[in-house]
Amino acid sequence: MRPVFHAGAFPANEDAPTRTLVPIQPTLKNDMRRADADAEPRHASLDAEIVVDLSRVTYTYDGEAAPVLRNISLTVNRGDFVLILGPSGCGKSTLLHLLNGSVPHILNGTLEGAAVICGKAVNDTTVAEFATDVGMVFQDPDAQIINTRVRDEVCFGLENLCRPADEILDRQKEALDYVGLPAFGDRSIFELSGGQKQRVSIAAVLAARPRLLVLDEPTANLDPAGMAEVFAVLSRLNREYGTTIVMVEHRVDELADKVSRVVMMDQGTIIFDGSPREAFSARRVVHSEEAGVVPTASWFPQVAEFAMDLAAASLQELLPDRVPLCVEEAVDLCSAWTVAAGAFAAGINASPTARSKRPLLSIHSLSFGYDRSAPILKKVNLKLRSNEIVALLGQNGSGKTTLARLLVGINAAPAGAIDLDGEDLSKLGAREIAAHIGYVFQNPDHQFVTDQVDEEIAYGLKVRDYSADEIARRVDGVLEIVDLGRYRHRSPFSLSLGERRRLSVATMLVLEPQLLVLDEPTIGQDYERAQQLMGLMERLRQRYGTTILMITHDVRLVAQWADRALALRSGEIAFDGPPVELFDDADLLQSAGLLAPPIHEVSRLLAARSPGRGIRPVLSSRELVNALIATSGNPTK
Amino acid sequence: MTRSNVFQFRSGRSVFHRLDPLSKLAWLIGVSLLAFGAYIAWIQIIISFVVVATALFLARLSPLEIVRGTWLFMIACTSFFVIQSVTLPGTTVAFHVLSKPIYVESTDYALASALRIYTIILSSMIFVRTTDPRDLAIALVTQMHVPYRVAYAFFIALRIVPTIEDEIQIIRAAQAVRGVARKRGLAGRIGETKRYAMPLLVGSLRRASMMVMSMEGRAFGAYPQRTFVDAPRMGPLGVVVFVTTVAAVVFWYTALALGYVHAIYVFAPA
Repeated sequence: MRPVFHAGAFPANEDAPTRTLVPIQPTLKNDMRRADADAEPRHASLDAEIVVDLSRVTYTYDGEAAPVLRNISLTVNRGDFVLILGPSGCGKSTLLHLLNGSVPHILNGTLEGAAVICGKAVNDTTVAEFATDVGMVFQDPDAQIINTRVRDEVCFGLENLCRPADEILDRQKEALDYVGLPAFGDRSIFELSGGQKQRVSIAAVLAARPRLLVLDEPTANLDPAGMAEVFAVLSRLNREYGTTIVMVEHRVDELADKVSRVVMMDQGTIIFDGSPREAFSARRVVHSEEAGVVPTASWFPQVAEFAMDLAAASLQELLPDRVPLCVEEAVDLCSAWTVAAGAFAAGINASPTARSKRPLLSIHSLSFGYDRSAPILKKVNLKLRSNEIVALLGQNGSGKTTLARLLVGINAAPAGAIDLDGEDLSKLGAREIAAHIGYVFQNPDHQFVTDQVDEEIAYGLKVRDYSADEIARRVDGVLEIVDLGRYRHRSPFSLSLGERRRLSVATMLVLEPQLLVLDEPTIGQDYERAQQLMGLMERLRQRYGTTILMITHDVRLVAQWADRALALRSGEIAFDGPPVELFDDADLLQSAGLLAPPIHEVSRLLAARSPGRGIRPVLSSRELVNALIATSGNPTK
Repeated sequence: MTRSNVFQFRSGRSVFHRLDPLSKLAWLIGVSLLAFGAYIAWIQIIISFVVVATALFLARLSPLEIVRGTWLFMIACTSFFVIQSVTLPGTTVAFHVLSKPIYVESTDYALASALRIYTIILSSMIFVRTTDPRDLAIALVTQMHVPYRVAYAFFIALRIVPTIEDEIQIIRAAQAVRGVARKRGLAGRIGETKRYAMPLLVGSLRRASMMVMSMEGRAFGAYPQRTFVDAPRMGPLGVVVFVTTVAAVVFWYTALALGYVHAIYVFAPA
């Protein structure tokens, strides 16, 4: 019997997520609740109905020689919440598209083996025929939302199914209640935040009451508040209504204690299928799209990573049932184990790089807006020095991108407001600014202007009339730094996403800018690629003394790489200082819509539990283990 | 973050927002036919006045929005008026500019022509700003029996225009950062289009593919018919607008055909 949702039974909006990070929203902070993912079965009353049944499935896209899925066998039971992990290009998205028949009916290719979803053979069932069985939600809400009004979007599927109007309106109301947006029916899609749009996308598929909900990185484009909204809705749907969910997502810290199963993929095959604790108890090795080796630990929740470090330092074996999935479990683990002396060297931020005291760029009382009555930036004062990595954080709409666009002259800066190395930025032309400041856009494709990789890198030099010898010398040097020399005659558009990202950085790098702005370096990238990009930034800084300003929501990236954090709140600089101090300020995090990295929460809780021990909040797992070693003889109260 | 396009739908609660799309379409076509058929300045002034009043009071557009949306056309129409006033022949001299006679007949005709263009632009803006493309598509299906797949294709095309405009702006900004200068002239524009084409094409294909999967995944096209919740219907006000517009157009062109209009043409050329 398929699960039926009853709007009347749903506690409408009782704990509906909001845009603000308030403590009563458990998922908006790093979750303090004890994870029960591996405890009792969640829906003991549910039958063990098989929703997904894949047996030896191999899939090859038309025109491709090698299959993208190889001999996959997977069973998903009703009520499961399955998280699929894997490096880019491993076949995760293809597997998801198989679940509603988009593969092979829209994304054409050859399907071998048996694929049965909700009792229907995929080969014999069209995508439209799966509409009442499988709801599919994609990464980009703007690309999947068809209508301009919320109610129309939620009604769209049922209208296509020719259901009576009264029933459609009832189900529309019910679906909006599920996702905590009961009063949003008449709202325009364009007025919604990213998180709200994704919740509308979820409601739009829930209205058809599907047995299976499939999501492909639904929070990739969202800020922490939007991500928390979406995860809260999914968790509630699964726990309270038994909705079966299969999901690809990179933000594991916030999901680990919510899912019931983890499936890991590599090169088109499933290499692990089990509980989250088993999944995150041991490191494995998989392969990236560019054939490099990637440790699976790079997708682990930070608390599990910490547990592995702690186990090594405590000379203990980390059994799966001890793997923490949330902050509180990690704190409990510290109490249970005693660490041995002399475990690790400190993290990357342990030895700060020497920086110039003279500011490279100064911003004085900068206010800016497209509409005078609604300024986006309000009296911003800021100094950036050479040779530092600065993270710019804040909710979507807080003014981050506007500030960055002013720095590179995309928006004209007010006279006298921005000083670049002694010159008024408003008096410099676009090319003069670009010689000093580079900007790497979110989508690298937007920046490409030629048909060949080496020409792409040379372009900026050619328009500035550099000599042929100098161009050749710099292009060769930069190709080596970004490791794209072997592709120098290829079209930029033929490269993988990670390679295109590196190429877009290279086009800026070749001009040897003093300041490089990175706009959301982790969006659309897996953790490993983001790490590679940041490694490249670190090399840049060491080689040229370049200042890196990265706009990001990824607090683990900030904790690992940034020397300094800037938090924007409603167009004003709310914080400017070391990242650890930003994460210490709970009120500020709340008001700016930010989250602290889990390891910071663990160390903060440990410090609060044992004030006499001398533990201070830290930003990396190894720093915390070292702190535990250093303070192991101190009083615990 | 970019400025919103003034020539796109924005939700609201004005009288025109509440009017069904076909009544508004009839009004737009009627106003355009009247503007085309009116070659006398004072009649064109009345039509323009009615359209501006509609924009301000029935569509609730602010004067600033009207100016922002039509300033380019204001300049073009003014230039058109000046050039025609100076160059067209006439018999009754109104005044001289640098010893060149300006005729009453040519000024009258030039004013009618300039206002005609502006009236059509402004009425189009009122229609676009107050009509949800989806409602228009549904009205085409439910009231004019256009196949729903065709109507939705039309709707999606309108829906995606602002997204493509935004993407072009991002590409332009991204390429400006590379040092690509905007070039004037036809050759410059062709070169610019070529550079934008590839990234735009790649992005549009990805988006289109996503949209197809999103629509098919929700059973679009599964049946020959579909239900329409909230299908717009022509209400009493729509009927009034429709009948009044049709009557005005029929009256005007009948009067034109019977020669009554020319009788009131005060500044008719000899």
